[in-house]
Order: sequence, then structure tokens, then C-alpha cells
Amino acid sequence: MVIVLCLSTLALIYNTPGRLLLLLAGTVILLLILRLKLGEFLGYIRKFLPLFIFLLLVQSIFTRGGEVLLTMGTVPLITTKGLELGISVVLRMMVVIASAVLLTTSNSRDIVLGMVHWKFPYEIAFMFSVSLRFLPTFREELSNVITAVQLRGVELKKVPWGRKIALYRCLFFPVAYGAIEKAQQLSIAMETRGFRAYPQRTYLRKLQFGSKDYVLSLLFPVATLMLILLQI
Amino acid sequence: MPFLELSQVSYFYPQQSKSALTEIDINFDNEGITAIIGPNGSGKTTLTKLLVGILQPTAGEIRLKGRRLQEYSLAEIGRRIGYIFQNPDQQLFCTTVNEEIGFGLIHQGGEPEAVREKVDFYLEYFELTAYRNVFPLHLSKGEKQRLALAAILANEPEFLILDEPTVGLDAYRKKLLAEYLRKLARLNRGMIIVSHDLNFVMKVADRIIGLEKGQICWDSLQEGNTGHEA
Repeated sequence: MVIVLCLSTLALIYNTPGRLLLLLAGTVILLLILRLKLGEFLGYIRKFLPLFIFLLLVQSIFTRGGEVLLTMGTVPLITTKGLELGISVVLRMMVVIASAVLLTTSNSRDIVLGMVHWKFPYEIAFMFSVSLRFLPTFREELSNVITAVQLRGVELKKVPWGRKIALYRCLFFPVAYGAIEKAQQLSIAMETRGFRAYPQRTYLRKLQFGSKDYVLSLLFPVATLMLILLQI
Repeated sequence: MPFLELSQVSYFYPQQSKSALTEIDINFDNEGITAIIGPNGSGKTTLTKLLVGILQPTAGEIRLKGRRLQEYSLAEIGRRIGYIFQNPDQQLFCTTVNEEIGFGLIHQGGEPEAVREKVDFYLEYFELTAYRNVFPLHLSKGEKQRLALAAILANEPEFLILDEPTVGLDAYRKKLLAEYLRKLARLNRGMIIVSHDLNFVMKVADRIIGLEKGQICWDSLQEGNTGHEA
């Protein structure tokens, strides 16, 4: 988690494509060292591809400055500054996604224990782990609604843009309602099982911080701080 | 030509070594009511999901009106086959009961007046008129089940697949549903019902298929029900 925070912070601070590319390369190397499947990261990138293209185009077109690369009549359409900014935004998102993949190395229970170890209040740590646990459920619910809409005879790809917005409302409502309902049911179930009934709680399993953990937890924030200072 | 043809259809869920369905060979005609029964985990719901293209067979082929199912989009299948999910929450997505019933009709270009008439008919038939402006997910389980049925039937598909349609329905509403399904069958609308409710199955089905461990153990015709009357 410390590594994810460090990498995401650097991604937000860096603003040139060169540095962001180096940061992305470093993150990918880290994924490989930790023996994570690169395919998972590439799968996420593929899913976000339309968004990346959209962001690249918007940033390129609406940012002025530098040399003009493409014009429409007399109006400059794409400039070097715009293109640079567009590439930076896309690379920044790729770094955030790649670093988030690191979180999949730990199960949600270990994340809670780790956060408690770092003196986070248990309630906050628990909320964080629950939100991670429910992500696949929400993805499944969204996919169910999309299937149900199509099975009512609606060709989603052929719906005109104006009506598409109304359809997106259909996708949003059941998933949001499901999330609220699940949160309510979970809170009742937790309270009936004594959640927060006493200030002290025991843990059946305790995370033991090894020397490697201490080194990495120190190394990454220090390195991040140094890189930030160098940037300034 | 059968409405739905399955030849040597098998299905494995990802990351599971045991097959959910093994080499299923079966045809469904567009008439009468076929019930699929079997214990939990026997592959009934998997089979229905394959029939509407939500899942793709791992082996074998499914044909809808002679054409390979993969050649249809989900929307094209949905216009021909009305599918009621096991859990109605999964198929209700509009903000009012009214909108839910009229959704498919409006998106297929139905005339507003005709849509309104049909919505009113189904609201009344399934006793949902009092809830017409209610958020569908706020309804009780039985009301949601009736609404899911109304929303699918309003589209007037050629064939129906109902996964556990009687769950959450009281005896009176089961009777209403049985009557309605018989009426549809008499209008030459074929359907498949997946159910654990043997009483209901015996009352409405013309053909009963037994599934166990992903394989068909028996397939028998029943005398004296809908299809034979048709």
C-alpha cells in the first residue's frame, strides 16, 4: 500500500511525458519483480483504451501553445503543447492503474491488518477492505443490467447519443440502489455480530513485519520524497 | 424446424474442472410448455443462460430458428426469446413500474398510445396498477417477480424462458400465472420453465425434462395439459 501511495503521488506530481514514461516503466518492472501477471495490467489498459483516446484528443485539441501540428482552415487544432499534455494525462492514468494492480498481491483481510498496524482506526481500515471486496460484485451487477437491457431488445451500440444518456441512467440506478441496500444489510449484520460493541478487539491472525517490509516501507517514501525534491 | 436446437452442448465454468453441462442434445419447438426440473446445481440455470446467449457453450452448437445463436446479437435474441431471470432484481432497471413495462416497447419504436394501452393491460393483469409510479426495486419479492414477468410479456416475444417464475408468488398468484402461461401456450407461444415447484410443473407442463449432474436423465411428455389442448 505504501508503494502504491508513493507511485500514485509521483504520477500526480510529474508532468512531462518523459518522466511519466520512466515512472511507468519502473512500475511495470516492479510488477514483474513481484511476479504479477502483466496480462492483468494489460487487460485493464485495454478496457480503459477508449477513455485514453478520448482524453488524448480532448487535451490535444483544447490546449494551446507550442508549435502547431495540425490546423482546420486557419484554426490550429493540435499543438505540440496540447499533444504533450494529452500524452502525460494518459501515462499518468496508466501508472495509477499499474500501481493499483499491486494491491491484488494482498487479500482484503491482510490490507485491514496492515492498516491497523499503521495505526489507522479499525473502522476506516474495515471500510477500505469492504469497498475492495465489493468491487467485483458491482462489476457483476453492472454486467447483469447491461445484459437485461439488451435482452429487452435494445441494441446498445445502435442507440443514438441523446437516448444513450437516458439508458446510462438505467445502468446507474440499480447498481447504486444495490450498493446502498448491501451497505445497510452489512451494517445490520455486523452490528448483530458485535461490531464496535467494545473498544478493544482481538485479531486471530497478526501480521509480522519482517526486515524486508521495514526496508521497503522506508525506502519508497524516502525515494519518493527525493524525487519530488529533484522535480522542484 | 425446431425453434431451438442444441447439439452436443457442453459448458465449463471458468476455473472449474467439472462440467456444468455435458453433451446436451435436445430440441425445443415453438409450442407447448416444457419444464426443466432437477436438483440444485444440476445445470438448469446454466442451460437457460446458454439458450439466450448470456453464456457461450464450451463445446457444441445452439441454433435459433436454424441460425447459429452466435450470429444473433443479445438484443436480437431478446426480441425473439423473453427471459425471466432467477432473481428479478437483476432485470429491473427503470425508475418506475410503468417505465419498466413499457421500456422494451418504447425502445423498439412502439406508438406512445399503443405502449400506454399495453402497459395498462399488464399493470392490471398482474395487479400492479397501484404501484405504477413506484421505484421497482422498492417492491416486495413477489411484486418484483410479477413486474419482471409483465415487462417481458409486454415485448411479446415468440418464445419464453422462465427461471423459477413461482418463487415469491402466493397460491392465488401462482394460479393466475399458470392460467396466463396456458393462455400463451394456446396462442402457439412456446416456453421453457425451470422450476423446483413440482405442483406447478405438473399443472402447466406438456413436456418435462429431468437434469442431473449436467446431463439429461429423462425427457417425457405429459398428457392433458396446455400444448395438447392447443
